[in-house]
Amino acid sequence: MPGGALSRPPPAMAGRLHQLRKRLFSNWFDGIVTLLAGAALVSIVVNLVDWAFLNAVWSEADVSQCREVSGACWSVIDARGRLVLFGLYPFDQHWRSTLACLIIVITMILSCLPALWGIKRLSALWIAGFGTFVVLMYGGIFGLSVVTTEQWGGLSLTVFIFAGVIVLGMPMAVGLALARRSKLPVIHWLAAIFIDTVRSLPLLTILFAAAVVVPFVVPQWAQGDKLGRVVVAFAIFYAAYQAEIIRAGIQSIPSGQEEAAQALGMNYRSVVLDIILPQAFRNTLPSTINQVVITFKETSIVTIIGFFDVTASASAAVGRGEWGAYYIEIYVFVALIYFVFVFGLSRYGAYLERRTRLHHG
Amino acid sequence: MADLAVRIRGVNKRFGDFDALKSIDLNVASGERVVICGPSGSGKSTLIRCINRLEVHDTGSIEVEGVELSDDDDAIRDVRREVGMVFQDFNLFPHLTTLENCTLPRIRVRGALRAEAEALARQELTRMRIAEQAEKYPDELSGGQQQRVAIARALCLQPRIMLFDEPTSALDPEMIGEVLDAMVALAEDGMTMICVTHEMGFARKVADRVVFMADGRIVEEGPPDTFFDAPREDATRHFLDQILGA
Amino acid sequence: MLRVLRNRRTRGYVIQAAVLAASLLLTLSFVLTARDNLVSQGIATGFGFLDRSTGWPINFSIIEATDRSPYSRMLLAGFLNTILVGLAGLACATCVGLAVGLMRVSSNLILNVLGTVFVETFRNVPLILQVIFWYAILTHMPSPRAAIDLAGLGFLSNRGLMLAAPAWSALDLAIIALSIIAALFAAHRFGGTRPLAPWGLALAGIVALSVVLLFLGHEPEMPLISLPELRGLRFVGGVTIKPEFSALLIAIMAFGGAYIGEIVRGGFLSVDKGRLEAARALGLSNAQINRFIRIPLAIRAMLPALTNQYVWLMKATTLGIAIGYPDYFMVVSTSINQSGQTMELLLLLMVGFLLINYTISGTMNWINGRLAIKGRS
Repeated sequence: MPGGALSRPPPAMAGRLHQLRKRLFSNWFDGIVTLLAGAALVSIVVNLVDWAFLNAVWSEADVSQCREVSGACWSVIDARGRLVLFGLYPFDQHWRSTLACLIIVITMILSCLPALWGIKRLSALWIAGFGTFVVLMYGGIFGLSVVTTEQWGGLSLTVFIFAGVIVLGMPMAVGLALARRSKLPVIHWLAAIFIDTVRSLPLLTILFAAAVVVPFVVPQWAQGDKLGRVVVAFAIFYAAYQAEIIRAGIQSIPSGQEEAAQALGMNYRSVVLDIILPQAFRNTLPSTINQVVITFKETSIVTIIGFFDVTASASAAVGRGEWGAYYIEIYVFVALIYFVFVFGLSRYGAYLERRTRLHHG
Repeated sequence: MADLAVRIRGVNKRFGDFDALKSIDLNVASGERVVICGPSGSGKSTLIRCINRLEVHDTGSIEVEGVELSDDDDAIRDVRREVGMVFQDFNLFPHLTTLENCTLPRIRVRGALRAEAEALARQELTRMRIAEQAEKYPDELSGGQQQRVAIARALCLQPRIMLFDEPTSALDPEMIGEVLDAMVALAEDGMTMICVTHEMGFARKVADRVVFMADGRIVEEGPPDTFFDAPREDATRHFLDQILGA
Repeated sequence: MLRVLRNRRTRGYVIQAAVLAASLLLTLSFVLTARDNLVSQGIATGFGFLDRSTGWPINFSIIEATDRSPYSRMLLAGFLNTILVGLAGLACATCVGLAVGLMRVSSNLILNVLGTVFVETFRNVPLILQVIFWYAILTHMPSPRAAIDLAGLGFLSNRGLMLAAPAWSALDLAIIALSIIAALFAAHRFGGTRPLAPWGLALAGIVALSVVLLFLGHEPEMPLISLPELRGLRFVGGVTIKPEFSALLIAIMAFGGAYIGEIVRGGFLSVDKGRLEAARALGLSNAQINRFIRIPLAIRAMLPALTNQYVWLMKATTLGIAIGYPDYFMVVSTSINQSGQTMELLLLLMVGFLLINYTISGTMNWINGRLAIKGRS
């Protein structure tokens, strides 16, 4: 029907431009907000770029260069960076520390490949990765000199604590989750009380208890060294949270599946390992990754009990020496290290969440 | 006495205050096909779930292939080897392919090698006419196809007795036929079958005996002809009127 | 023996008995070892130490607590410090979170970007690093002599933020409280049915009554407001907000605000589009849809996650120890160091946090219950 009584819709404006206008200037109020917020954003960006890049000193070994300049003094990272990354690890053995951290990063990347998603395969991968890490860092075999745990520090200590917590904590979490689901009342109640108590306490309290109380109530021979105790306590804390996530995953599996498996004659071990756990983990992958990310951030808390992780090393790197005034640069450097790990892991978690939603949608 | 596959004597079961099974006596001979029917809440599902210990009976005794069911692990294991079950909701394992659904139990329960388990699985899948769906996941199959996979999965353990708990109740009407055909083929091969179902056409065609349960008791049982054409009890008549339509 | 393990029922009993026995044995061994250690170190058990004076001071407290105060008072001071920074942190973080969350769901592109940058910056860096960072900045402020002047009402130096404070006596506070109650009562009684009237009346009433009563009942020489003044090297008067408190507060505000922002965003995104479409079809304006449908539904969706976040933030106040803020945890750990009464103090620590924990969850669950949509769930 040509022309006509019914009005035709207005010609569409160039797609992108129209979208932009709607998002920024849809009405007069929106327009004002855009202008004000835009001005704020621009001013922040300009100042930041100015401080961080334009007026900054990049790598002069001499601190006097920094004092003359109004921008950031990134050379402090050059001067103090190794302290932040390796702590008090012997200088000539830094390659071992670097390699060990790289191996953990590779292990984490490999864990993301669906081809490796099987309980036996993942356990083997992580035990191999973590084992290699410890051997490289500690030494004593293959001609590597011994470097005791007191000398481990900086990023490598943070990575050690993180990997140790996950490797120890995940099996504990599975055990706790299954215990809480048990039909035997004693097991069920002990697990529930344990999980709920641990979850209501601050992490710091639990680590503190591990460092201070355990030597008090446990005989000398069972105490282990302080780092080991703290990693075990941290692993228990993580396990309590992860157990609840796994339990939610198990509950989301229709009970008919367990019945079918039992009717087929499969024993408890087989039902749990082949049917229940693979599905429980797949169902709760986003929450699990979230919990792992939180754990990485929480490793920073060991600073308070006197461990020389990457946060503590930042304060040590700043110190009172000639580089003392440039604390902001060091803290930004450390923050960036965390940011890379944490943001990367979170994005991966978001990607997985989108993928499972598409698959089931 | 002919070979008794299942012998149930004086079985009672309570759920809290509710008496689900009251003094049940039932014998099923080897090779016999029994259909159990009745209104909902009559205890039919509970009864067959007691046969493979998915439910635990309170009093009385249940013997399967001569093995008495008890809390003993070995007894339960032996019974579950001989008894296969097909559920209303199929209960396929969604994270495994059709083939893996069928091979996993054999590998884990009978300790078979993968090659042997796969050969047997393909054989049973062919028997159920879904061999071409071997690499698909349950989500990708229709209800009728999933149920036939479920039957094949149970058959892979080579049981002597098959239990069916309302196998077609969750299916869209156009798929009921393919599942019933599979069950008929199974019956013709001589399998001992105990079916809880509302499909009376199937009962007429295949059953050696029809059992009517109501209120936790066995009200009436008999061969299909007498059961459908000349029921003795009023309750039976009433039920048949409802099921078969006015 | 093996026969017993092959039977499900008896196996169940055996396992439970074994686990129970093992737990009891473990607990017993802990208790015995602890007792041996206590005896060998000459430390008395029991809570008698609570009446002893501590001999060490803390640098911040809202109740009277010096180095002569008994342990019980010190612990109470620490506990109150935790609650103070915790509640202040929760309130500020909620405000920041609301703002950030709204920015993230807004249709304005620039607000989106600003909100996202805020959330990603503060969420992905550990809280303790942020606390240490802000503390470093605040302690690098100029000394009191060269303090930054905030329009005469306050000064910012490396000793803290000095603000003008009301110098009201107990009587003044009582008068204000009474006038508030009276005004609210009058508003309720005489407000009528128009929606704005009771609130307007209450506000006017409070202000008027307070001013009148304060001036009437007041002694002429005492000033109503105390201003901070530089005397020599320090400030006197006004209220001093220490950098330990401020740093912890700012960090909780930023970190908590980022997380709460995401919860707020999640709440808004979870509102069923169908409901909003129905509202638009009914002819409601955007503002009405927001006020009557979107916001109430979003709030209900947010509550469970918000409860978890609040509980977590309260526990996060323990990080104050890293910068010397004397919260409950720090007082307890110092007490353990000084008095050696490890077990008793740890027990008090756990009880204190369990108390805070259950109070917050209890309150939030009550709110949740009151707001919950009645249904068949």
